[in-house]
Amino acid sequence: MANITKKVSWSSRGDESGAAGEETPLLNGSEQSRPLRQQDSARGRPKEIPHNEKLLSLKFESLDYDNIENQLFLEEERRMSFMAFRCLEISRWVICGLIGFLTGLIACFIDIMVEQLAGLKYRLIKENIVKFTEAGGLSISLLLWAALNSFCVMFGAIIVAFFEPIAAGSGIPQIKCFLNGVKIPRVVRLKTLVVKVVGVIFSVVGGLAVGKEGPMIHSGAVLAAGVSQGRSTSLKKDFKIFEYFRRDTEKRDFVSAGAAAGVSAAFGAPVGGVLFSLEEGASFWNQMLTWRIFFASMISTFTLNFFLSIYENKPGDLSNPGLINFGRFESEAMEYNLYEIPLFIAMGAIGGGLGAFFNFLNYWLTIFRIRYVHRPCLQVIEAMLVAAVNATVAFILIYFSTDCQPLGPDQSEEYPLQLFCADGEFNAMATTFFNTPEKSVRSLFHNPTGTYNSLTLGLFTVTYFFLACWTYGLAVSAGVFIPSLLIGAAWGRLCGILLASTTSTASMWADPGKYALIGAAAQLGGIVRMTLSLTVIMMEATGNVTYGLPIMLVLMTAKIVGDYFQEGLYDLHIKLGSVPFLHGEAPATSHWLTAREVMSSPVTCLNRIEKVGTIVDTLSNTSTNHNGFPVVVQVSGDDEPAKLCGLILRSQLIVLLKHKVFVELARSRLTQRKLQLKDFRDAYPRFPPIQSIHVSQDERECMMDLTEFMNPTPYTVPQDTSLPRVFKLFRALGLRHLVVVDDDNRVVGLVTRKDLARYHVGKHGLEELLLAQT
Amino acid sequence: MSLHRYNLGLLLIILNIYSLGLIDALNATASDSAANPLQAPSDHSHGSSAVVSSPVYKPAVDSSYWINLLSSFPDDLEFSEYCTELLRLFGQRYVAFVNCLVPAARPVRVCQNCSPGYSSLSEVFLNISSDKLGPANESCRDSILRSDRLMLVFLLYGSLDTIWKKSNCKQCVTTDLTGPNNDTLYYLTLLNQTITCFEKYKEGNHTELCKNCKNAYKGLNDLYSGMEKNSTLCIDLEDSMNMTRKLWSKNFACSLPREETIPVIAVSSFMLFLPIIFYLSSFLHSEQKKRKLIHPKRAKSHTSLMNIQDKQS
Repeated sequence: MANITKKVSWSSRGDESGAAGEETPLLNGSEQSRPLRQQDSARGRPKEIPHNEKLLSLKFESLDYDNIENQLFLEEERRMSFMAFRCLEISRWVICGLIGFLTGLIACFIDIMVEQLAGLKYRLIKENIVKFTEAGGLSISLLLWAALNSFCVMFGAIIVAFFEPIAAGSGIPQIKCFLNGVKIPRVVRLKTLVVKVVGVIFSVVGGLAVGKEGPMIHSGAVLAAGVSQGRSTSLKKDFKIFEYFRRDTEKRDFVSAGAAAGVSAAFGAPVGGVLFSLEEGASFWNQMLTWRIFFASMISTFTLNFFLSIYENKPGDLSNPGLINFGRFESEAMEYNLYEIPLFIAMGAIGGGLGAFFNFLNYWLTIFRIRYVHRPCLQVIEAMLVAAVNATVAFILIYFSTDCQPLGPDQSEEYPLQLFCADGEFNAMATTFFNTPEKSVRSLFHNPTGTYNSLTLGLFTVTYFFLACWTYGLAVSAGVFIPSLLIGAAWGRLCGILLASTTSTASMWADPGKYALIGAAAQLGGIVRMTLSLTVIMMEATGNVTYGLPIMLVLMTAKIVGDYFQEGLYDLHIKLGSVPFLHGEAPATSHWLTAREVMSSPVTCLNRIEKVGTIVDTLSNTSTNHNGFPVVVQVSGDDEPAKLCGLILRSQLIVLLKHKVFVELARSRLTQRKLQLKDFRDAYPRFPPIQSIHVSQDERECMMDLTEFMNPTPYTVPQDTSLPRVFKLFRALGLRHLVVVDDDNRVVGLVTRKDLARYHVGKHGLEELLLAQT
Repeated sequence: MSLHRYNLGLLLIILNIYSLGLIDALNATASDSAANPLQAPSDHSHGSSAVVSSPVYKPAVDSSYWINLLSSFPDDLEFSEYCTELLRLFGQRYVAFVNCLVPAARPVRVCQNCSPGYSSLSEVFLNISSDKLGPANESCRDSILRSDRLMLVFLLYGSLDTIWKKSNCKQCVTTDLTGPNNDTLYYLTLLNQTITCFEKYKEGNHTELCKNCKNAYKGLNDLYSGMEKNSTLCIDLEDSMNMTRKLWSKNFACSLPREETIPVIAVSSFMLFLPIIFYLSSFLHSEQKKRKLIHPKRAKSHTSLMNIQDKQS
């Protein structure tokens, strides 16, 4: 029984301050009845609590991955010839090719714009600094730098904060959710794509500690969702093609292809892209889809390649894959030996620890932002301040740095700053800060030994760590991949230099670039906690398979160490966004929970032949924003609860109401066109709200026959099914509604995504998330 | 000897097959021997069995013996007079050029001193390597450059040519390699002015030097930067500029001082202070975002609860 008291304490959560009375009616022990009654009396106004991570938002819905096999669907399938199915298969390939091509083009556009604009900015500042170094007044240069940064970021933040807040951040959490089956509002719209692309250009040019790789994944996904539909609802343009693909199941497959194409364009890693999609959306998968996704990835990286080669006046040279190019790790000094493996693993552990610290800081910052910095204008100001501070910190470090290095013969530094160095030398600190982050990463990997001294690298690591942590979560479109790589590369290189200095035989630890790579992998793994796909992405980006083993070991260690302290950054942000995300498996020790406790009850059911007025009232009820309605049929007797005979969705009902498919009208107008599946597809994905549909008083008295349209064979489970079993069904089939029935096939409850996602393993064992309106 | 000739012939055939220029031919022979590890030793064993038995590998220091042995080739493999002469000339000029290069190593005067040497050397090499026929209607290209695995003349010339190319001297000398071109001369005059100035104020206080020589130095530096952009620099100029810069920055310590620390610190601490104000004010003034809790509909029955508890215990 000791077990039970513990259960009671978690279900009531009375021990946590401010959370009294939050208990859900699921497991109220007898001693809990009193607070429950108090709460009941206060139920007149809903309870409000500050935002925290233990909430599920009502605004998120599931995607309808399950095929609705109603009569219309069967009819259409019967009508379609074998040829038509072949054509569908071919058009899937065409779409994937298009997705890859367009994603590559967008990546190319971003790359060129960033390079041009950043070049302009840095040249301007450099000229200014050179002028004022001699004449005096460097504080003006500092102000100029800060102002330019703030201006760029202001533009990027305004379009995000005011026009499309969903485009903020890297977009990877959102795409993860989409592939998981959560419909994030507006995440795959054209407007989001535009804001994302323009926003990322401005935030990178604005000198924030961000990368343009994460947003590429989101952009690819949006493109895929748009291209596969053959129309744009935003532009009100319908090309009348690919109409068959206008439903969530097909769209999800293309979105996973788009995400893969995005990864592939960002890192020049086609296989890594496929594996990324596999890792994130793994429950819905088959071989042909994998092959198509690979096709999209390949096309994407080589489109980028081809257009960049034209931009660099080497048309046809296809050896420039990826937005970030790690360069080649092929020289002999880059070889590693068996005795270095333990060192690499130790670096992995450091990366995991630092990553967890990063996530911990970012977690508190994000909570603060959600609670207090939620107004768009405040978000814009915050982003501008971060940009200005970025410039200031960089300037101070550059100003006070005494690390001068001679200019190399190959001029690898694009904007060498001399400042107070001797003529013919440049400030080494400036190469790390006074450049776009991608270039800094590359110079940390490849600059010869002795380019940086250890003090420079140490200072850089510390400052950039905090800057990057502060930046992620701002209302700008930007990714966290490159900053993580940069932090890791800096301390990794530092490790390499220290190793070389501790041993007398310096040749053993010849190249710090190798350690920079391992450090970068460790840091990135420690922050995002991706496994398989990240290993392959890093391997492909370095273009060296022999680094597979150390990178894998490092990422493993980083994940193990990091998971001990804190979740990965993306999972953290999904949680903070109150998204009902279903992980791979049901929480452990949850077999004792049955469908009866999990389900929502009572269920709003509809009769097979239902009065229009009832339907309209049910749909218009704002307090219960239900989406699926079990359809029941009365068998015998009036009091007998009805038996389940199907399931119908809100979207279907709305289309039916819009087309006025009423029994009476059908009788009077015999010539009325029969509703087809096409009518449902045309309304997808933005079904009009119920308020926009006018039903007259007379029509309310009509009847509606749902037989043809409902899904006649919804998935059902008995009441005693355990939670993990229900969970498995949901996850594997991509369900949205699961009807719980009793022995006589009568509806007793309905399980939806939010019912399942609310269980999670927390500090005190199994915990339950609360539903909230956000 | 027939074996030897056979080997030579084989080499020539390979050369003809690959005939992709000298470097490729070199690679080709190397890769050929590497690609046929089984065949190559047997070749060698044939050849060497003939040679090893002969006294060549004995530690004989009698060079005339060597010559005697080698001079017993049949006539058709021998050098013509013309080629021997070319080879001798090549040797002479080679020695002269190297003799010029070594003293010019530090401080670097390669381009100024040795351009004519290179010019004459490359002239001879051009003669050797051209397929133009000599007076006796023969070409020395194959016999001198490509007849053996070592290809000594080619290697020798190649190493010097690399040095020449690396030095970038072509940028600083006239097209006929006789002397410095106009740009270089102008640069050198400026350099001389600067150095004289340095000499003049070297004694005593360096601040005086920094002040007085600044114009000369700056003019030189600007000219150099301009030439750097046009990539009309060679090693001589780079080295001299390097030395001058080092003198200026390190020896005389005329680099720019870090003297505006206070305004920079003031401005930056102001900037760093802004976010603190921002966060504090948004914490104090912005209303906290609250979430409305929703109470989901659940099956509420004590029997089911009892069931769970039964299951638990």
